[in-house]
Amino acid sequence: MGAQTSAVQGSPVRDRGAAAAPILRTELLTVRFGGLAALSGINFQIARNAVHAIIGPNGAGKSTFFNCLTGVLRSTSGRIIFDGEDITGLPSNVISQKGIARSYQITNIMPNATVLENVRIAAQSRRHGWNMVSHHGAFADINAKAEAALQSVGLLSKAEELASNLSHGEQRNLEIGIALATEPKLLCLDEPTAGMSQAETDETKELVQRIAGDPAKDLSILIVEHDMQVVMELAQRITVLNYGAILAEGTPEEIQRNPKVLEVYLKT
Amino acid sequence: MTTVPLEKVRPLGKARLSHTAVFWIGFCAIMALLIVAPLVLPEFWRRFLTEILIWGLLAMSSDLLIGYTGMISFGHSAFFGLGMYGAAGALIAHSPPNLWLALFFGLAGAAGAALFVAFFSTRLRDIYFAITTLIFSQIFYVIIFTWTPVTGGENGLIFSRPHLWLPFLYDARFTSTTMHWFVLAVVAASYLFLRRITQSPFGMVLQSIRENEARTRAIGYAVERYKMVSVMFSGLFAGLAGVLYALQNQFAAPDFVYFLTSGDTVIYNVMGGIGTLVGPIVGAGFFQLVRDLLSRFFGDQFPYLIPLGMIFIVMIIFLPQGLLGFARRWLNK
Repeated sequence: MGAQTSAVQGSPVRDRGAAAAPILRTELLTVRFGGLAALSGINFQIARNAVHAIIGPNGAGKSTFFNCLTGVLRSTSGRIIFDGEDITGLPSNVISQKGIARSYQITNIMPNATVLENVRIAAQSRRHGWNMVSHHGAFADINAKAEAALQSVGLLSKAEELASNLSHGEQRNLEIGIALATEPKLLCLDEPTAGMSQAETDETKELVQRIAGDPAKDLSILIVEHDMQVVMELAQRITVLNYGAILAEGTPEEIQRNPKVLEVYLKT
Repeated sequence: MTTVPLEKVRPLGKARLSHTAVFWIGFCAIMALLIVAPLVLPEFWRRFLTEILIWGLLAMSSDLLIGYTGMISFGHSAFFGLGMYGAAGALIAHSPPNLWLALFFGLAGAAGAALFVAFFSTRLRDIYFAITTLIFSQIFYVIIFTWTPVTGGENGLIFSRPHLWLPFLYDARFTSTTMHWFVLAVVAASYLFLRRITQSPFGMVLQSIRENEARTRAIGYAVERYKMVSVMFSGLFAGLAGVLYALQNQFAAPDFVYFLTSGDTVIYNVMGGIGTLVGPIVGAGFFQLVRDLLSRFFGDQFPYLIPLGMIFIVMIIFLPQGLLGFARRWLNK
């Protein structure tokens, strides 16, 4: 599949030194809830412009890891370095401003606003957030950003609909659109195809491939997913978590052949 | 570069133009009615209408928190009361009493209270925020009630009205008609200002916090700061209502700082329709009117709260969005 080469290629815009550095790196990241170590000593990195998947059985620590990266949870010890900068312990709004966006496992949108408003509120978080005198729809730059994000997730034709009127699959994609509208460098997708029909899953898969391949976005993607088929097709590298530790890491082919991984997945 | 198809934007703009026209025609019609009203109404109803506007402003100010930011405040009596006592202090201390000094000190008092409440309670959510605002307002009530040398304690303060003084333009005693116009001007300006705020990008952030606080933080907003500013604005306009009340009635009493005032404010909001700004004014009018009619027909001793409470329950069951809730999306467009 040539997965390894594309993972190393990097963006043509950046210089070679920066392109070689991972977009995100964790050092001995540990999270404890009382006596229980939800994550213990995770050393992990995502290459620039790669699609990287995290899999693992329930309770393996995938969501905890996500919450740590996006500032929802504080790590007990260890460091998170994003784009060369230590972001350990920063609140989630600051992390968002630095360039990490996330979508949620449970659909987490504003149901009483239109699709466009949902995305626009995310797009204006970089500028104009404190503006109190203009109408919120009056900014050409924000509208353009919001509509571009909607186009990326295929919802531009539904821009004026109330978000609550969308189908489940469309709401899931809107979820990604909101994250994209903040123009992140790293997009974390938490089970983007959860509860979707096969057709919707295929659509979302294509969507992720499309945004991952968009050279204008300079985007790296971290994805947690249960659907193995989706993971194997999308990701260039896969990390397997089990009991809060990394069990294996490699290309989809390597992971599929790894006996330890097979054991964990056959057991559960 | 991604190109955006422009034809999707154009019909949108056109639709908003006609919406804007309809809005302003409606606004002007209602303003015209309210301007003419004191000229045709008898003295009692003239004052009654003015007071509805003042309570409406108080309710509208709390709608910014309840309806837009999603924080239910049970402490608006504190802002209202501080506005009232601030104005009272300025009117008593300065001779001759000056309208603009009263306004300034009233707003400063409310701003001080709002800053205090905003700082300590915005990190809390839902019922915890509501309870904290309630407690803070009761603290202000106790201070005002017990600090007799300054606040007059239980008896409150009585003072004389300033002139309606517009520098270089106008200087005359307030009549009940000019008072009404003055209150109307302040309330209308406040409405337009709050409407602008709620439609601005800032207002969208507030509504996003109401809909989904965690998500709002995750897309990069410092939620606490937005909440604080929202509380500040809300407190300022509640204080403005307090100043107007002091001007209208020429007294300040601790009763108004008591939490029952805050409770009434929330009821006006629910009756009129939260998240509409004008709804709370309608709610205040409805509440006051029903109460007045009840005591008119059944006498002063009539326990008007019982039927009023039943009306409230019926409204919540059959009109959960309030009197103007149906127009919510349209009004906020």
